[in-house]
Amino acid sequence: MTRITSPAPPPRAVRRQAADAAARRTTIGSPGTSGAHPGAGRRAGGKVRRWVRAGGLSTLVFFLPTLVVFALFSWWPILRSLPLSMEQTNFISTQWVWFDNFTKVLSDPLLPTAVLNTTWFTVLALVIGFPVPLILGIAIGELRRSRQIAAVFVYLPVILPPVAAVLLWQTFYDPSSHGVFNTLLGWLGIGPLPWLNSAGLAMPSIVLQATWASFGTATIVYLATIMSVQTELYDAAEVDGSGIWNRIWHITLPQLRGVILVLLLLQLIGTFQIFTEPYVMTGGGPENHTLTILMLIFRYAFVSGNYGTATALSVLLAIGLGILSFVYLRVTRRWSNS
Amino acid sequence: MKKKLWRTIAPLALVALAGAGLAGCSGSDSGGSGDKVTITVGNEPTSDQTAALKVYKKQVADFEKANPNIKVNPTTTKYDAQTFQALVASGKMPDVISVPFTDIQSLIARGQVADITSEIKADPQASKVNPTVAKVAQAGGKTYGAAIGAYTMALIYNRALFTKAGLDPDKPPTTWEEVRADAKTITDKTGAQGYAAMTTNNTGGWSLTSVSYAFGHTLESADGKKATVDNEATKKALELYQQMRWDDNSFGSNFLLNQDDVFKQMAAGNVGMMVNGSDGYNFAVTNDGMNKDDFGLAPLPQEKAGLGTLGGGSIAIFKPKATKEQISAGLKYVDWIYYRQYFDKSTAVSTAKASVADGSAVGAPGLQLFDNATNDRYLGWVKDEINVPRENYKAYLKSTTTLPLVPEPMTQAQQLYGILDNVVQAVLTNKDTDIDSLLKTTQTQAQSAVAGG
Repeated sequence: MTRITSPAPPPRAVRRQAADAAARRTTIGSPGTSGAHPGAGRRAGGKVRRWVRAGGLSTLVFFLPTLVVFALFSWWPILRSLPLSMEQTNFISTQWVWFDNFTKVLSDPLLPTAVLNTTWFTVLALVIGFPVPLILGIAIGELRRSRQIAAVFVYLPVILPPVAAVLLWQTFYDPSSHGVFNTLLGWLGIGPLPWLNSAGLAMPSIVLQATWASFGTATIVYLATIMSVQTELYDAAEVDGSGIWNRIWHITLPQLRGVILVLLLLQLIGTFQIFTEPYVMTGGGPENHTLTILMLIFRYAFVSGNYGTATALSVLLAIGLGILSFVYLRVTRRWSNS
Repeated sequence: MKKKLWRTIAPLALVALAGAGLAGCSGSDSGGSGDKVTITVGNEPTSDQTAALKVYKKQVADFEKANPNIKVNPTTTKYDAQTFQALVASGKMPDVISVPFTDIQSLIARGQVADITSEIKADPQASKVNPTVAKVAQAGGKTYGAAIGAYTMALIYNRALFTKAGLDPDKPPTTWEEVRADAKTITDKTGAQGYAAMTTNNTGGWSLTSVSYAFGHTLESADGKKATVDNEATKKALELYQQMRWDDNSFGSNFLLNQDDVFKQMAAGNVGMMVNGSDGYNFAVTNDGMNKDDFGLAPLPQEKAGLGTLGGGSIAIFKPKATKEQISAGLKYVDWIYYRQYFDKSTAVSTAKASVADGSAVGAPGLQLFDNATNDRYLGWVKDEINVPRENYKAYLKSTTTLPLVPEPMTQAQQLYGILDNVVQAVLTNKDTDIDSLLKTTQTQAQSAVAGG
């Protein structure tokens, strides 16, 4: 939607004062703010002065704290992890071991288990967790009244601290016949189910909790997008006599397409890094059926004290997610542009 | 005009703020100069433990008065396996800090503790520590720490539930067949869970190791080079779990429990028996509010071939980069704070009084650090302060001098425990688990963990 870097037409180049004014107004639609026109090099000093006069300095200074904090706590650790993944260290003396950590990680019999479990979690989260906020967002958008209240209720679980929410669900999942869910199911003549204590049910149980804990955010994003859809489209559709399903299919969903694509990618990246829920609820059990990649990294670092292998697996995960995102964006590019 | 002024001032203010923030990060490095030695020590009581903190501060002040060339810098830093590496990495590890028995061998293997062999030998009190306990901090003929507290794995039981089920709370089970029978009686008569086992965060392996010792086998060879998970004793222990879980139904229904969970269940009266550290009094009674008369403690039941019980506790370790002078000073400090109460009456009484005032236990069961004579003399000094019903632990207390103490696995104990968690979970959550083949596959995993360490 922005085209600020397009070359300005020659006549405008002469009117530099006007361009400065435009820059100060910082409206993105105005061409001529670009310095990419021919002959810009000669007027470099002028450019800096213009940049300063346009408030560039305070922009930079305001940006500085963010820059420092990000550099110190985010970018530097990321860079530092690259050498750390090739070191063996007890933080007193450090040896450079090249790719030993990677070999160790890749030959760990638990790695395939963790990767499969994490993938299984991602797939389940996609099937169970992805449609829920979309449907809720559209449903709330269709409400005539109490839209705000509904949004508040949907968002409530997100406000709970994650560990508290997990512990709450852990009591719901009490496998004895007095457990909350088992009591409910008992009324229907089902169960008692072992929930987290069963190899097969443990992961879906975790997905259910994780979905409940996080669907609020996505719902609000969808709702906001839906609210910004031009109402004329709906009015026109209604005049044409189209029903609610037709409106959703032909107007709402196409308008949401870009948001859906982004949220889907964010969810993929997020679910591949699942940690808190299995760590608190099951500790990876039963029999490693809920052991995830991040839990394995945690075990390497904080149980075995082996930061090298932990970082090596983190780097591998980052590479994996990078490739996934690249492929995803490639595959969906045409769909999102058209 | 106003706007313009703001534009100039705001960035400046921000720069100033950022600068102040960064300046806060840099600190000065501590170090001894001249003939005065400075030591930083961890485990200072936190501000909520008012009485203990007061006594501790007085102890430190007295210590500094008695040793004018030593300056003590107390910090509340505590050992936590998850943050310890960061402490070492940042150089903020105190010169003296206490760590659990389970982790000392891996710290030694990683070279993250100082060798204090010669200092310990020269110390009059530290050298008197019970040799079976002292051994925990030794490797390759060298000593890497001073034991300051100890316990053994024991059978913890709820005396009220025993009475309710028609069992005699003064006659806890002594064999595993009796454990099984009593567990079934408790479940049948009271509806409570007869027996519970921890299963997550490596505690499942920790307690299975103890029970295996009681059945007659260790899980690693004595030199720590071989895993010996696939053995008859462990098999029998798991078979017992299987029978209690699936035949008697006395094992409850939740099998993803860590140490906190089982103590909460025990304190709430939902569980009849479990295997845990004999210092569990503090968890169950002091923290979880169990009635102190209900807390029962018995020696770990033994089979005929039983080897004894697993021991645990805390060890004071020293920073690997500490100087010789700092280590000597640190050991003197350990003597003063932890050992002196066993050798000096007024220290014993004032420490005990502070514990009582804080609501913590005096005379709680555990494994004694020194020989019987020293320990009895100490108990005589503090007898008016003892606030736990010690008659309820008679059998346990008697066993501490007779039941052998078997050390924890030498190599990669935590990793081995983690692998064994899964074994316990498999037996308890899956009715069809074949113990023989399970132990065979586990043996391979355990061996690669031991060899990889």
